[in-house]
Order: sequence, then structure tokens, then C-alpha cells
Amino acid sequence: MADPSATESSVVTGRRALRWRPFHLTAALRKRILRGLIVVVAFVAFVGGLTAAFGINILQYTLYGFRTSAIVIVAAIGLTLIYGIRGFANFAYGDLMTLGAYVALFVNVNAQLSIVWGAITSFFVLVLVGILLEILIFSRLEGRGPVAPIVASVGVGLIIQNGIYVVAEAQPRLFLVSLGQEVTIVPGLGFSWLRDGLTLAVGFSFMLFIHALLTYTNLGKAMRATADNLELAKATGIDTKRVTYATWALSCGFASTAGVLLGLISDVQPLRGVTSLLLIFAAVIVGGIGSAYGAMLGGLVVGLSQEMVVPLLVWLGRPEVLGIPHADAYNVAVPFLILILVLLFRPSGIAGRQTAIVPRGVVTGAIARARAARRTRLAASGAGRRGG
Amino acid sequence: MIGTAIDTGILTNVAYFASFAIVYSVLAIGFNLQWGYTGLFNAGIGGFFLIGAYTAAIITTPYDPPTVLGGVVIVPGHWGGLSLPFVVGAILAMVFSGLAAALIAIPTLRLRADYLAIATLAFAEIIRRVTINFDTFTGGTNGITRIPRLASFEPPDPFASGMVLLGVGAVVLLAVFLFMNFTVESPWGRILRAIREDEVATMALGKNTLLSKIQSFALGGAIMGLAGALFIETKPYLDPQDFSPALATFPIWVMVIVGGAANNRGVIVGAFLIYGMEYVSVLLKDYVPSNTIYYVRLMIIGALLIILIIYRPQGLLPERRRVLK
Repeated sequence: MADPSATESSVVTGRRALRWRPFHLTAALRKRILRGLIVVVAFVAFVGGLTAAFGINILQYTLYGFRTSAIVIVAAIGLTLIYGIRGFANFAYGDLMTLGAYVALFVNVNAQLSIVWGAITSFFVLVLVGILLEILIFSRLEGRGPVAPIVASVGVGLIIQNGIYVVAEAQPRLFLVSLGQEVTIVPGLGFSWLRDGLTLAVGFSFMLFIHALLTYTNLGKAMRATADNLELAKATGIDTKRVTYATWALSCGFASTAGVLLGLISDVQPLRGVTSLLLIFAAVIVGGIGSAYGAMLGGLVVGLSQEMVVPLLVWLGRPEVLGIPHADAYNVAVPFLILILVLLFRPSGIAGRQTAIVPRGVVTGAIARARAARRTRLAASGAGRRGG
Repeated sequence: MIGTAIDTGILTNVAYFASFAIVYSVLAIGFNLQWGYTGLFNAGIGGFFLIGAYTAAIITTPYDPPTVLGGVVIVPGHWGGLSLPFVVGAILAMVFSGLAAALIAIPTLRLRADYLAIATLAFAEIIRRVTINFDTFTGGTNGITRIPRLASFEPPDPFASGMVLLGVGAVVLLAVFLFMNFTVESPWGRILRAIREDEVATMALGKNTLLSKIQSFALGGAIMGLAGALFIETKPYLDPQDFSPALATFPIWVMVIVGGAANNRGVIVGAFLIYGMEYVSVLLKDYVPSNTIYYVRLMIIGALLIILIIYRPQGLLPERRRVLK
């Protein structure tokens, strides 16, 4: 991993070579990869230990967790991009996902085309919807703080959701796809190519796509610059209006794909998207608002924890343990708990940068003061050493 | 004879309509304290409303044991059954809702407005799901029935019950309205408005803005709890679906925005107007399929939210301008 010749040759051949080397490992990146590897090893050991102790169905729940994570990641990337650029939480996002699923369902069932065409049509329809939303509604609310666009987005969500109820009726519908045989890897651990394989593949390719977009294209760089500092981006000549439209288009397109995937692993119904909205918000905030990489990490944390907590809750629900009725239904509360913990201790998210918010709570204030005191002490001792 | 029967029938209908409108007015006044005066955007009104309603219901109803048939629980019943008077229920409803609001406020109020919105939305949704699933405690989807009325008549007299309900509701609304008008004009209310306008400047004047924000949020939550206690007297039975965001949170926003944020009189006008829309939709039920009219009403609420927030965010009765003399 730490290949010394790579760094040296890039220094020799100059900046051009450095820019075009996709896997150039700086010291910071190496450190991050090492940290990531440690987390992966710890996770594998954790799951392995649980499987050894409680049986193979832990692996099944882990697979469900990755499947949920893949969908949450696709949705959270779309939500976090628009959150970063326009600075407000899009409460209509869940309903946009539902709309995407219904457009795909219409193409799939009513026009008798393959689900792939359904997903592609739905992607482009939602791209148009996103651009229209910006032109008609959200561009008029620029500079009005975060609350006014939230209110407007709730209005958009209500219109979409109830419009679907009026047009498409309330009962759950299914895509016309052959689910295929579920492959049994080990007794107790099933793998469905459509539900697990496709979801994971789409999630992974969307992650690669967004990484390539943000790193190697001018549009991606302009998006990052606009999200970072709107005024500065304008001053450097970036057409921020165009960037905003592109971001809306991408965000809503991602919503459509996430909605279709959600419909594939369960069913299509008017409240399907809005009930997963909280999960996506949790992923976005845990990862740090505006950061696509944070959304990936947050989606993984939130999706895995929501699914892997189910066996624990089932155990707690047994009459001889706690006897809570329907205990496994509380798995939706787990992302919320993670969200509250992150808000308490690291409001900028795991991957986000520390913002200028001063922690003033009872608990957090004490921690922040202790950390600040330690930092001052360290700085003072460092300065003392240098002085001496 | 027939004429008077129809008259009292219409009056009873109007009394029940007005009682619901009063419940939503109280909710809207609570939200107005949080958002209109302090600038704290609460997206979980339904959650605090639910806590108030269930607290009051569990405290005032008689004991309701689970119905077991052949070892299988048919109706889960619900916890409590203390049969205490309504006043105790209402006070405890305010206490529990206020405590919940303070607890949710502490981690989120020092952050930006949108974090508070997301956290409260999540809180309300989780409270609602716990209510649905923890059925040995709350009755689950069966809800809570046999809620004692404010006054019982023998033989049952819907007109008299409706009038008692309306009277109690009107007294509560008037009390809350006067109390809130007094509060927001007090020095404490001035701090809240100052926080809304410029929190940093208020801090620089030596005010503990975080404490004031938590107090405001908790007081608003307590008022929502009071609305919940009134709500159970108005409804024949308690149903967790009544507290979904589309029924208990978003319409309240419209009421406050229509009426005028930071103007309690305007908020009551807004509540009666928007709830009046619901009443009209009930009247239209005979002509249009009832499901469609229900969804169309929510679409109209959505469209109103968008149009008002773009073109008239100050509402029908805007906040009184305060100019330094």
C-alpha cells in the first residue's frame, strides 16, 4: 500500500502526472485507508463472533443490512447534494422516491416494458421534476433561511403523496419482474440475485459514479465549490445557477432510482418513500450535511444498525426477557438514537468539518471545555518546548 | 317540534366543529410560541399532541383489561385506568408533553433550525410507532375507548354534551390566549423575540438564550399537551392515526402561516379557517367519494403551504410592528 516510488515519481514528473494518477496515495489518504481497514476488520470480527455465538441468521440480517444500506446510500447522496448546494432539508424527498417508483411501475406494468426501461424513464422524468421544482418554487425562496424552503418542500410532498393516492389508489402494487430463485448459500442464509445482488450492484455503481463526478469532472468540482461557499464560487466565475439545476436533476434522479430499488425489495405504495425519509435524514446528518462520502458512510452505519438490531429486539421481545409486544418494530428507532447521539457529540457528522457552532449544552459543553483546555495546554507546552 | 329538532341538530354539529377548531387553535398557539415568537421550527407537533392525548386518556379512563379468548389476546386493552378527573389528566398531559419537549430540545436547540425540524419530525414518528406497537400500554391500533365525557346526561343528550364541550373548550382557549398574550409581552417574551431576530446580539446582552429557548419550547409543548387533553373529550375514541404528520403537524403550520405568525389572534382565525375547510369537505362527502375529497384536501393544504410561504409569509393578520418611541 505504502509505495514510496509512487510519491517520488510524481514529484519528479511534476503536477500533471499527480493530477492524472487516480490512486495517488498521500500520507493523509494512507492514514484514512488504514483506519478504514481497521474498521472493516473490526466489523468482520464482530459479525463473525455474533454468528459463532448465535447462529447463521446473523449473517442473513447482515445481508439485509447491506441491502438497506445500498438503497439508503443512493437516496442519501441525492438528498445531501441538494442540502449542501441549496442549504435546506428537502422534506419532499421521500415522496419524490415514491413518485419515481410509480413512474417506473407505470412503464413496467401499463406499458409492459422491462423494469430497466421503467427505471431509466423514471430517472429522466424525475430529473425534469427536479428542475421544475427549482424553477417554480425553490428559486423564489433563495435567501429566506432554512425554514421557508422546508415548509414549501412539505407542501410539495403533500401534493405528490396525495396526488398518487388519487391517481393510483392506496393498495400496494408489485413490479412485473421474475424474482428468480433464492439461492441458499448455507442453510439459513439465502441470497436473491434480484433483491440483494441488483440492489448492491446499483448502490455500488452509483457510489463510483458520484465519486468520479465529484473528483474528475468540472461539473463535480463546481458543485463542491458551490456547496462550500456560494459567493466565492460566483466570484470565481462558476455559473452557480447551472450548478444548482444540475444538482436538482441529479438529486431527483437518485431519488427515483432509490424509490425503484425500494419497490423491488418490498412493494410500491404511496407511503413507501416517506416512511424511509427519516432513515435517509439520519444517514445524511450522521455523515455530515453536504458530504457525498459522508452520506455513504452514514448510510452504511444507519442501514446496518437498523437491520442488525432486529435479532436483538426479537430476543428482548421474548416473554421471559422483557416481553415487549412487537419488539422488532422498534428497529426504526435505532437510526433516530444514532442521530441524537451524533447531534449531541458531533453535530457536523462523522465526515463533515467542524462548524462554528459552540457546544453549550450541559454534557457537551463540559466535554468541549475539557477538550479546549487540553488543546490550549498542549499548545502551550509545545510552544514552551520550541521556545526552550 | 321538528323545527327545533333540526335546529339543535345543526347547533350540535356546529358545536362539535367548533370544539375541534378550538383544539387546533390551542395547538396552533403552542406552535406560534415556538416558531412565531422564538423562531424554533417544530416539525413534530403531532408527537407532543399525542403524548398529551394519551396521558390524559390513560389517566381519566376506567381500567380496561385485555380481552383474552382461548389464550389469545383479542383486544389488548390499555395500561392505566385510574379514573381520575379531567383536570388532573389535563395537568399531567401538560407536564408530560412539556418534559418531552424539553428533552428533545436540549440536544437540538443549539444547532441550526433544520436540525431541530428533522429531530422533532423523527421524534413524532417514533412516538407514533411506539404507540401503535406497544399495544398492552396504549391499546395499539384499537385505540382507547370509553373515555369519560366532561358531563354525562341521562338520557344521553348530544346537544347538551356538545354545549358543555364547547363551553369548556372556549374557556380553555380564552385562558390560553390571555396567558400567552401576557407572556409574550413580558420581559421573557421580549427575550424570545430578540432571539428570533438575532440570537448572537441577545447573547451579547447577557441573556441566557439557550435556557430561554428550552423554556419556550417546553411551554409550547405543554400547550400542545393541553390540546391533546381537550382532543380526547371531543373524539369518541382515540386512534394513533389522528397524530400522523399529515393530520396533526402540517395543517397546524398552514393555520399559523395563514393567520399570521407571532399574532395569536391571527392564529386562531387561521385555525378556524383551515379546520372550516375540513368541515366543508365533510359536507361534500355525499357528492364526491370520501377518500378522494380527503386526499384533495391534503393536496390543497400542500398547495397553500407553498403559495403562502412564497407570496404572503406574514399571513392575514401580520405581527404588530413594535417601533421604539
